[in-house]
Amino acid sequence: MEGSVGEELAVGCVLSLRTTLNDEIEGQIVAYDRPSNILVIQEGSSKAGARRNVRLLKANYIKDFTFLKKAEDPLDVDKCFIDLAGLQAREDAALRQAEIEAERIGVGVTSEAQSIFDALSKTLPVHWDKTVIVVMNEVRVSSPYLPENVTGGTPAANDRVKKVLELERKRLQARNSSQV
Amino acid sequence: MNPQQGRASTNGYSRRRVDTMTGSKMENKMQPKKSASPNFAGKITGPSRDRLIYVLSFLIGHHVEVHVKNGSIISGIFHATNADRDFEIVLKMAQVVKDASMREQKSSRDNITTPQLMIVPTRELVQLLAKDVSLDEFTKGHSNEKGKDLLIDSVISHSHHLETERELTPWIPDEDDPECPELENIFDGTLDRNWDQFEANAALFGVKSTFNEEIYTTKLERGPQMKEREKVASRIVREIEGQEAHDFHQAEERGFNFHDDLDEESRYSSVCRESNDTRFRETENTCNSEIFSGSVGVVTSKSYPEPSSTEVCSEVQALQNETLASSTSSSLDEDKYLHTDKDLGIYPVSDCNHQASDRITQRSPPLDGESRLDSNQKDQSDKIENIVQDSRASEGGFEGLSANGTLCNPSSSSQGDITNEPSDSQVLVNVSTAIKSVASRVRPGSSSNHVPADSAPNQPGLSPSSSSGSLSSEKSTLNVNAKEFKLNPNAKSFTPSTSARPQAEVSDGSFYYPNNVASLQPMHGLPVGMGVAPFGHQPVFYNPHAPPMQSSQAYIHPNGSMYGQQMIVGQPPQFYYVQGYPPEMQHKGRKY
Repeated sequence: MEGSVGEELAVGCVLSLRTTLNDEIEGQIVAYDRPSNILVIQEGSSKAGARRNVRLLKANYIKDFTFLKKAEDPLDVDKCFIDLAGLQAREDAALRQAEIEAERIGVGVTSEAQSIFDALSKTLPVHWDKTVIVVMNEVRVSSPYLPENVTGGTPAANDRVKKVLELERKRLQARNSSQV
Repeated sequence: MNPQQGRASTNGYSRRRVDTMTGSKMENKMQPKKSASPNFAGKITGPSRDRLIYVLSFLIGHHVEVHVKNGSIISGIFHATNADRDFEIVLKMAQVVKDASMREQKSSRDNITTPQLMIVPTRELVQLLAKDVSLDEFTKGHSNEKGKDLLIDSVISHSHHLETERELTPWIPDEDDPECPELENIFDGTLDRNWDQFEANAALFGVKSTFNEEIYTTKLERGPQMKEREKVASRIVREIEGQEAHDFHQAEERGFNFHDDLDEESRYSSVCRESNDTRFRETENTCNSEIFSGSVGVVTSKSYPEPSSTEVCSEVQALQNETLASSTSSSLDEDKYLHTDKDLGIYPVSDCNHQASDRITQRSPPLDGESRLDSNQKDQSDKIENIVQDSRASEGGFEGLSANGTLCNPSSSSQGDITNEPSDSQVLVNVSTAIKSVASRVRPGSSSNHVPADSAPNQPGLSPSSSSGSLSSEKSTLNVNAKEFKLNPNAKSFTPSTSARPQAEVSDGSFYYPNNVASLQPMHGLPVGMGVAPFGHQPVFYNPHAPPMQSSQAYIHPNGSMYGQQMIVGQPPQFYYVQGYPPEMQHKGRKY
């Protein structure tokens, strides 16, 4: 795209563009790398400490764009540092977090089951065992996750899980019916 | 489109490449190059590439979304990219969030896949979107990285999909909420409510209130003269409250704000360690008049033949004024000293001398109703001190009033400290003698509260004028026949055994008379209302078998503070006195 040629000099420009996938993006150019044809755009307002979206867009997918204004370079080259250790730590933390969250999602279970799992997990320790919800490592709730399907555990625990299950089901029904 | 490819080698390669790139990026950062041109190592460098690489490295560990050519969106944690070549994106824990091939856009409901490592080839890549990248870090590097080391709860518990920032708007109450009471008026309507909680309770739960006001306070005799008495009482109240108070707490309560120079702390929260005055002033209000209404009532009535409370009031006021003026000779008659029953508890504390003497006076009468210290001395704090001390000692348990203090502390255990240092030894002597005489009449017994005879800062303004010999008269001038005195047979006056501190007898603990209450009769003709409190399994009561003390002072539990005083002083129809075994001992059959 011809426009991309000039963009290398246009760091800091605020553009509004549209991609071939019909995404509309408006933001400030952070960088443009011609060999790879990647344009780095930073969206969002310029509040201090704000969190913005950063997009790396392949320039050849830009359908059209509009030059809005010219602003200064968003990156202060002198102040750009990368903390490798910090990055690594952040990545590890993110991975850990993602793994934890992945644990919570049952594979091959219905969304209803997942909702029930989420509701139970608010107050009880639960984890998945294939498609069975295991509560407190004792009580098992299998499909279709009705109070009758609650098995195992001490009677007290069993009853408690049953109760919570009923309550959550009711709540879910109420919610669903109000949404529908 | 399945971007997942088992290119382990490439992964590792990529990762290393990125690391290398970041390393080299840092080296290259400061080398401005005009245009991207391959350097001798074959790597393309240039400021724009540097920037790109910088941004990419910046995003490592971030959750990103990768838009691919066919419209699908993959979400995962950005792990690496092949910056040397084509910038393939390596995502860890990635999932296809939006699959373009799916007709229905169910939000990952039925096509949940386990998160896995995904690599997006360059040719598929349309866009990489990283949301909520902190701007500060972006421009200033990772200077704020420290903040991320602290995991706050929301970080731990929430997924990254939640918005971390919200637009905060001020709360505007709904239009249809007019009942919101203003804060100031929130309690205004409380008294007007037609709602009686007790009724409600009874109706809802069948709970009947067994509250009997008379247990807790002096029984009001509601008779035809009620109005009169009320008027009189309120007048007295007004007079008292209108008096100038030396204690600045009191003053503030009464509306006189003469201690404006004190800061808030001294005014409201700090402990006053000034003269005795203050201490006792503050405690004076804890007096229950009923404590004294019996004995002191006796005293007062006896001592003050005059019935009119007004008179007394005014006299007391005069007393105070005199004291304040530190008049030398205040030959205040004892008559003036005490109020009538109702006001007993509230002794306007001024520099109390006369009041102290009052107390002394009070004390004696209850003892026997006879000895009435002619303590007109008033200004003699020292005398008073001694008097108080001795009488205290003798009376044992009789609430000691400090010479200054109007400490009418019902609890016998409390020691009204006499803080007035005897200034005049001579007077002291007299006082002592006087006291001793009193003491002799007092029921002998161990004194529970021995007033510490030390440390009594001299009362300012006290003039040692009063007749030194005034105290010497041991003759009780209490007018036993004062008409105010009504010995109430049911008065709370509890007369324990020989001493005010019957502990002496029962100190070894269980003093257990198994026979039940009913058999209890007034001992020695003294009206002792005692009931047995069926306590636990074991009804326990105490059998006084000694000349009862007429003081209605707070009864000291003979066993000390086994479990606090279970005595209700006042006008209890039944006098619960529990002593003996602590409850736990009575548990039978509970095996732990």
